[in-house]
Amino acid sequence: MHMGSFIKHPKDFYAGLMYALIGIGAIVIASGYNMGSSVRMGPGYFPTVLGGLLVLVGSISIIRSFTHSGEAIQRFYWKEIFLVLGSVVLFGLLVRGLGLALSLILLVVASAWASDKFRLRTALILAVVTSAFSALVFVKGLGLPFVIFGPWLGL
Amino acid sequence: MEILANLSLGFSTAFSLANLFYCFVGVVLGTLIGVLPGLGPVATIAMLLPVTFSFQPVTALIMLAGIFYGAQYGGSTTAILVNLPGEASSVITALDGHAMAKRGDAGKALATAAIGSFIAGTIATFLIALFAPPLADMALKFGPAEYFSLLVLGLVVSIVLAHGSLLHALGMIFLGLLLGIIGTDVNSGAERFTFGQPWLADGVNFVVLAMGMYGLGEIINNLEKKETRDVMAKKVSGLRLSWADFKQILAPIMRGTVVGSFLGILPGGGAVLSSFASYAVEKKLSKNPIPFGEGAIEGVAGPESANNAGSQTSFIPMLTLGIPSNPTMAIMIGAMMIHSIQPGPAVLTEQPALFWGLIASMWIGNFFLIVLNLPMIGLWVRLITAPYHLMFPVIIVFCAIGVISINNTEWDVFMMAFFGFAGYLFSKLECEPAPMLLGFILGPMMEEHLRRALLMSSGDFSVFVTRPLSATLLAVSLVAMVVVLLPAISKKREETFKE
Amino acid sequence: MKKTILALLASAFVATAAHAAFPDKPVTITVPFPPGGSTDMLARIMTPKMSEKLGQPVIVENKPGATGAIGAAQIKRAAPDGYNVLCASIGVWAANPFLQKNLAYDPAKDFDLLMVAVKSPNILVVNPNVPAKDVKELIAYLKQKNGKVSFPSSGAGSSDHLSIALFWMITNTTGIHVPYKGGGPAIADLVAGHAEVSFQNLNNVIQHIKAGKLRALATTSEKRSPLLPDVPTMVELGYRDMVVTSWQALGAPKGLPADVKAKLHESMVAALKDPETAKKLTDPGFEIVASTPEEFSRFLNAELAKWKTVIEVGKITLD
Repeated sequence: MHMGSFIKHPKDFYAGLMYALIGIGAIVIASGYNMGSSVRMGPGYFPTVLGGLLVLVGSISIIRSFTHSGEAIQRFYWKEIFLVLGSVVLFGLLVRGLGLALSLILLVVASAWASDKFRLRTALILAVVTSAFSALVFVKGLGLPFVIFGPWLGL
Repeated sequence: MEILANLSLGFSTAFSLANLFYCFVGVVLGTLIGVLPGLGPVATIAMLLPVTFSFQPVTALIMLAGIFYGAQYGGSTTAILVNLPGEASSVITALDGHAMAKRGDAGKALATAAIGSFIAGTIATFLIALFAPPLADMALKFGPAEYFSLLVLGLVVSIVLAHGSLLHALGMIFLGLLLGIIGTDVNSGAERFTFGQPWLADGVNFVVLAMGMYGLGEIINNLEKKETRDVMAKKVSGLRLSWADFKQILAPIMRGTVVGSFLGILPGGGAVLSSFASYAVEKKLSKNPIPFGEGAIEGVAGPESANNAGSQTSFIPMLTLGIPSNPTMAIMIGAMMIHSIQPGPAVLTEQPALFWGLIASMWIGNFFLIVLNLPMIGLWVRLITAPYHLMFPVIIVFCAIGVISINNTEWDVFMMAFFGFAGYLFSKLECEPAPMLLGFILGPMMEEHLRRALLMSSGDFSVFVTRPLSATLLAVSLVAMVVVLLPAISKKREETFKE
Repeated sequence: MKKTILALLASAFVATAAHAAFPDKPVTITVPFPPGGSTDMLARIMTPKMSEKLGQPVIVENKPGATGAIGAAQIKRAAPDGYNVLCASIGVWAANPFLQKNLAYDPAKDFDLLMVAVKSPNILVVNPNVPAKDVKELIAYLKQKNGKVSFPSSGAGSSDHLSIALFWMITNTTGIHVPYKGGGPAIADLVAGHAEVSFQNLNNVIQHIKAGKLRALATTSEKRSPLLPDVPTMVELGYRDMVVTSWQALGAPKGLPADVKAKLHESMVAALKDPETAKKLTDPGFEIVASTPEEFSRFLNAELAKWKTVIEVGKITLD
């Protein structure tokens, strides 16, 4: 907790750190690209300049965080993050093999779980209705290229 | 009056039963796909092109055009109701539109968008009728140097978008510019920041970024606010605009229409800039006690009008010069050629019924949109007062389906989840996503035009100031920069004194 | 683990399906570009008649990315059962192998070639402010300007970029290559006079030539175009190697059963020979080729050899 006592404005500190790190990363990666000259700017020119500007903004923000004070960063709600983003990733993994219908049901149930008002029965009903609606409107109606029942089901 | 003769030819063409019907079909379809983020008008028009083979050419074009501006319209509905901007211009609408919705004013926001779009569409129709050829010539004056200067102005303006710290606005703009660089470099063909992954070769798609940052990020944010359970205000204020509201939005609508009409004709990026520019103008001129970003009605009225006016005037270079100003116009040119019409200056003289019929149909289409959507507002508003724990999974479904349908790849879904986390992190750090999205859109164009201008001038930087149009734009940027920075600096001084 | 087992099961199903009379389910044509371009347009114009002939729907699916490499690689990996067809352009078939490092497909080896469907000639156009009235004067102009003449193209490594490189090589001239994001903006700057000389698809510039906004100096096809009978070909002017056409061709994953291949080819020929469909293609400027698989194979080898030379001698790299 020693660092903490120096940092008066945690939000500015960590935002600045983020800018600076991304800026440094951009410069390092762009160093592998052709810089070119001002006549023929290479692909490395623009990202290097931008990386430099990010490092600059980041440094100012970090320095400011030692002199100005601000609120603490609020805690992260990991269960909500995990369920919402995880259900989306799961959908991406399953949609081709399992088909749209079942992967949407999983997506709705898993993401609905992130709410503290979650009830399995309601979520299931919602999932089936949403899934049927999507299959009808997006696949049958608008002709989006999804399989409704995927090859894994062996139908 | 030649104009009256032309317009009456146009309306008599557009008022045929088939043309009215397909105009209606077009705007309804457009609204539908606009509501779903991801499935854009280009893909829809391409898919429906074979259906129009059996139509008269003018009927085909009327329907395809209806899809285009209907989609623009539908996009703002989701932006206002659930904070899902399906395209660049709706990012701006989401800023204040969604804030209004949360306050219980969703009806007003939607009505403002509808009325603004209709007025802007009407004026733009007449502008096209009166000034199409001279406006088209103006578009040709913009070379790489002028575009670069215009984009500089756009970036300066984007600082206005942020309502928090100026430093973080800059940081987020640079971050957005960098994010926009991912993918294949236009000037050299080299892949940058792709880590050898083919799915990154074409860069990050705007919809993927926006759905992640706004859609998913916002959902997690809402879920953690357990005490203040309901995201949407339960009491819904009047659905209709009062006379006072109307007076308040009229001037922004007019200004937005002018800004949008002019920027819309510029190929590449003009239409995107128009809603940003209009927002900046309104933010500077506003006397509204509600700050911009927290649900100021002018922040919806101006940009929505600008966007709609711009999407109509973007037809001008396509119809009069055969030059597409955006991907939708490029596919419209394809559609015309399939119907044996060569787009270009000859259309106006050889196919007057087609030219004027299409223009007249745009006004009719706008009329259909307002007639269709005003009664729908009540339904929409009731929809979003549904319990949030039932609504958010459905929003996630829309995001997921929309995003996967852009490039037909699951990598976009994974990227959306990644940006969802980034959006959540940014909100914890009080970094606003809007300036970043603007940087993301403008960055690649800016680099492209800068490098192209220098390539053509053999590295002579003076092209930016010796060409009058470019010099003017840079001068305006400088003035805008001063206007933006002055209050920030003086405010900072005040703060320092307070301490 | 479970996933692989399921995938294996799935492929077994697909394999048995292929033995039934082809086609007993919809055929998918993959276009490795976003909707709206020439290749996409060709596929969408062809498919209605193909469906009629095959008795099953033919669906167009866009799988864009990495100038067509992602979609082409996907078709390479797909089952060779006739239900997966690739419709792609010259760049995917003949230029990517020499431009993209680690390309995930080999056009000559990974596909059963079906047909070259259409081609369209490129045309050498200049902005009317360029003093040159013919190719000879243009070469003199380029030499006099000492390479400071801008040549817009629709992108680094695109077919018009390659045409420019070939032209410089053959005429011993040079200039500034200015890549754009697609043909539209490149032509816009050419018409507006911000850029000077280019090779473009005839169908993209014909209206500008007719309106006097661009001047056509020569075509790069073997024969003159019926749309511009007064414009000479580069061959006529003595540049025998300056023959460049854009073309679109169809293929399927390697290992297609002969009867399936014949049926697919037959349906494509039927579509292209249908007068109504043909008109939809010739009006925008395509020339219908509808080659046999053998002709495609010979043509592809010739094109690969040609572009390999141009890309290597012209030192075209993407970095």
